[in-house]
Amino acid sequence: MSKGARIRQQRVQAPQRSGAKRVKTPTPPGQPPSRRNLYLGVLGAVILLAIVLVGASVLSSRSSSSPKTASISSAAATAKLLAGIHQRGTTLGNPGAPVTMQEFADIQCPGCDQYMTTAFPDIVRKYIRTGKVKVEWNGIAFIGPDSEKGLRFVNAAGHQNRLWNVAELLYRNQGQENSGWVTNELLRSAGAAVPGLDVNRVEQEANGAAVNRQMAAAANLYSEYGFNQTPSFAIGPTGGTLQPFNPSSYSVGSFAPTFDKYIQQSKQ
Amino acid sequence: MSDRTLRVAICVLAAAGAAIAGYLLYERWTGGPLICSSGGCETVQNSRYSKIAGVPVALLGLLAYAGIFVTGLLRTELARAVGAALAVSGLAFALYLVYVQNSKIHAWCQWCLASDAILAVLAVLTVVRLLREPEPLAVAAPVARPQARAPQRRR
Repeated sequence: MSKGARIRQQRVQAPQRSGAKRVKTPTPPGQPPSRRNLYLGVLGAVILLAIVLVGASVLSSRSSSSPKTASISSAAATAKLLAGIHQRGTTLGNPGAPVTMQEFADIQCPGCDQYMTTAFPDIVRKYIRTGKVKVEWNGIAFIGPDSEKGLRFVNAAGHQNRLWNVAELLYRNQGQENSGWVTNELLRSAGAAVPGLDVNRVEQEANGAAVNRQMAAAANLYSEYGFNQTPSFAIGPTGGTLQPFNPSSYSVGSFAPTFDKYIQQSKQ
Repeated sequence: MSDRTLRVAICVLAAAGAAIAGYLLYERWTGGPLICSSGGCETVQNSRYSKIAGVPVALLGLLAYAGIFVTGLLRTELARAVGAALAVSGLAFALYLVYVQNSKIHAWCQWCLASDAILAVLAVLTVVRLLREPEPLAVAAPVARPQARAPQRRR
């Protein structure tokens, strides 16, 4: 073949080469992996990481709650009653609610139990959940050792904004006064029944300085109002002067006129 | 969207996520109150789900965002893969935490939800970046050679 003919043939063959299908060759060792392998690697890493994170979170949350060594009733009902309602420290309800009620209660007192299991749920549904009233807890411990033990646990739960869940649960599982019913097992079980509560932390903080201050402040306020029994209440406009309130019965009907009066006043 | 635009978006979002995680971590360690209109932020922040084996979830989030940010700066295939793996697994964990807020804690943390939204967008961007053909690295323009002198004919 002459030189000219060879050049012509090369020019004709060149486009055919560039348009030809690529033939896959196995990735030689030391070369970056193929994209398919890369995607599989990413997918595997995602699944592994997600499983590890979720699994560790579940195990960690279980270990920081407690084994249920005492039976607790009404846990689901209590969780449902208070679910989604703003809690901060000792306060339950909308911070901007026009009416404030202070409650003074002992964990052991039967009257407090009656109020918390009859009137309180209706007050929550009608006035607190609707943002009209907020309630402040002032725990008093005067009946006996069980009172202080239970109150310390309740107040410490307030540091995790779950005070009202624990208080309500203890009232729903209340035992005989000074019978030793407030056991560590009962408290741990009550704490474990509260969604999201770190029970170990509550136990650590129950005897701390912050709880001591809370108890002293509540006792001072109780004396200032001149109360001598539990439960006792003070109601008034938020930010204004609260007046002692003595309900005729532990039903929402006995609280409603006073709440409604202050709610009306706030609208004027 | 060019790879450069994707990388800038990834870095900006990762920085925003890191800022949220850093804020939550700072307030947790200093015990300060969180700015939160829902009232649920501190409840979630103090719940037993806020730590994994003693390590705050916010710290894990901060590390993940930092990792995604670094992968956004790099142009290697490995960086794209690691970025996508971090963002997608982070999103999966975030969805689990949304379930926990709704069903276990019964409280909502706005900061956490904002972080979850950022993670969702990051997951999309990092996966898009991973699936695209890598752009060839810029090649330096060939240096113009001085014209070779024509050989001088010897006389």
